[in-house]
Amino acid sequence: MMNRFPWFKFGLMIVLGISICVPFIWMTSASFKHRAEVEEINLIPKKPTLDNYPVVLDMKPDPATGRFLGMKFWRWYFNSIFIAAAVTYLQVLTSCMAAYAFSRIQWKWRDRVFLLYLATMMIPGVVTMIPNFQIMVGLDFLNSYHGLILPAAFSTFGTFLMRQFMLSLPPALDEAAMIDGASHWQIFWEVIIPLARPGMIALAIMTFLGVYQSFFWPLIMLNIEDYFTMPVGMLLLDSTYGRQTEYIMAATVLNVVPLIILFCIFQKFLVKGLQLGGVKG
Amino acid sequence: MKKLFIISGFLLLVVYAFALMSFKKPDTGKIVLRWATDPNPARKVQTKLFGELNPGLEVTVESGAMEKLLVQCATGTGPDIIDIYGATQMDCYAKAGLLLDLTPYASKMGFDPSKTYPSLKEDLCVDGKQYRFPCNTGGNCVIYNKKIFDDHGVEYPKPDWTIEDFIKAGKKFNEPGKSGQTHIPLASFYPYWVFIDMYYSLGGRYYTDDGLKSKLDSPEAIKALQTYHDMMHVYKIIPSPEVVAGMSSQGGWGSGPIVWFSTGKAAMIMIGRWYLNILVNYPDMAQNIASVGLPRFEGHPPSGLLGCRGPGINAQSKHKEQAMKFLSYLASVDYGTLIVRDGDSLPPNPTLAQNGEMLVNKTVSDPAFHQPFVDAMKTARPIDNSPFINALEVQRWIDERLARVENNPGINIEILMKDLATEINNKIKRNIDRSKALQEKYKSVTGKDWKPEK
Repeated sequence: MMNRFPWFKFGLMIVLGISICVPFIWMTSASFKHRAEVEEINLIPKKPTLDNYPVVLDMKPDPATGRFLGMKFWRWYFNSIFIAAAVTYLQVLTSCMAAYAFSRIQWKWRDRVFLLYLATMMIPGVVTMIPNFQIMVGLDFLNSYHGLILPAAFSTFGTFLMRQFMLSLPPALDEAAMIDGASHWQIFWEVIIPLARPGMIALAIMTFLGVYQSFFWPLIMLNIEDYFTMPVGMLLLDSTYGRQTEYIMAATVLNVVPLIILFCIFQKFLVKGLQLGGVKG
Repeated sequence: MKKLFIISGFLLLVVYAFALMSFKKPDTGKIVLRWATDPNPARKVQTKLFGELNPGLEVTVESGAMEKLLVQCATGTGPDIIDIYGATQMDCYAKAGLLLDLTPYASKMGFDPSKTYPSLKEDLCVDGKQYRFPCNTGGNCVIYNKKIFDDHGVEYPKPDWTIEDFIKAGKKFNEPGKSGQTHIPLASFYPYWVFIDMYYSLGGRYYTDDGLKSKLDSPEAIKALQTYHDMMHVYKIIPSPEVVAGMSSQGGWGSGPIVWFSTGKAAMIMIGRWYLNILVNYPDMAQNIASVGLPRFEGHPPSGLLGCRGPGINAQSKHKEQAMKFLSYLASVDYGTLIVRDGDSLPPNPTLAQNGEMLVNKTVSDPAFHQPFVDAMKTARPIDNSPFINALEVQRWIDERLARVENNPGINIEILMKDLATEINNKIKRNIDRSKALQEKYKSVTGKDWKPEK
């Protein structure tokens, strides 16, 4: 049907494209609106203002109240980026190591153990929330970076993704290296990791995006504002006494900027990585 | 690749160390109390004053998100002071054992129910035990926009107005005024409040005196909900969900309708004095607004729901005694003065809110604006709870029914309310069946042993 009616394909893509873009356009538009206008549905602000951004960044007081919002935006920016980067680094490393063991080394019950490991993906996160939190309390990890980084440093999905990628690499590579006297450690670092780079980049981008916007775990782990990540910090703009939508939208625009930059830079790698995985798989 | 990993790892470690160093704070030697509340900027002022009055103590504010609270309290790491947004929430927390029973300490520490409005007593207690003290309190009134009333040639409401007067006035805002514009008659941001305020005005109760049966299928409840239905679907005074979806760019609790009123799109709003906290964001609006008590049904005295936001103390807190000092502070004149100044409803200390004159603040200087909120305290009453059922569950069921009314103009209100009451009654029976403690309670209120139905 798609080939017989190319206009249908384009029409469908245009509709999908618009439905994806509209929330972003609305978000950006609302960030340039005054409070009195922000509830209206017009996409183009009647009297656009740039003031919401400096107010959110605590460079200017709220014009209505004359008070600074007191948001530690730059600190939260740093925290979000740092935590996302650290988790990404560790998760890619641990996932690759686990994937190597599950794909390149033969050992008894390997695939059964892998299936068991994979089955943990079926357990909803909410179920393990309290036990995980209890462990963090026991380790005295509340209100700390490592409380957010370490639990996320190991990922079943990452292991699965990298295992599938590594399975697509010819076993002859390992055999050749072994004949040359290479150890598993050397094969892992010198042979497999360089070849698995597209998969690693894809995993890194997905992990970074996921951690950067995670909300619930940081919400329960952090009580001190200095440790807040952006999504948790932005909660301060939403109280029972009203929501400052124009500020939330300005903060959200600032929040997504690093993600958009990251995606623009690594878009090629992400697509290439997924394509390579697809072809070889 | 190996080098990249090593360099990246090293860089992350350096940044980590740098970030940790930047957190070093001098130890003040003070006991830090954690207060889970909402992120209103006024909290900073309130905690600062507490710190000044209690030099060895410091209160930090953190998110009162319920999910966070439950996870933290389940693991013994919850905040010391927990804001509770109504009797239903308190009932749920108290029954879950999350809150400390304050009864043995309240009188000695100066925050027993006698230190606040007599009508609030039930709102602070569950089964006769005190679990919280108010931060602020109040009943709803109608705040209206005089400019819009003038535009449509509608007389300002009088203090003793009736639901019929309210509907008659409301209908006029649907017709173009002198400016050629129509206006939303009532910005209703929480349907539950509108329904309950009307139900209370009819003298309605949630339960029979023994708490064993729901009265939400009573003629009063049916009349209140039918009136709500008619206001929305017949008289078009309250915008229906479809109209709301077409007008508002966002959802969320209350913020849409509050903004409609604050930006001059709606003529009236049923809300507490805490609206003044929002009004500071709309300085041009302050000169246009006035307030009046809730409309009553003909032949019935005015009434409405009395609510309060008030903290309880975490039963697992390590600083219970210090946290109680915070509750004593809430009963003080110093704290109450802040509430009067900020317009955050009424202060818990009634001596500071005897009349409208005493409540005048920078946002609204007209005593007549504040007076209806003082009067509302005399006629409003807290929400009814039954020891036999979780109040949050009941509220959720009422909210569900209200949503059905909003989305279905042809709905039969009588059947709907009978179904609601049956659901509540059945749950009460199931709860008693399953709990020895409730069976004892049943015996104490009826004098009979509980016999499960076959």
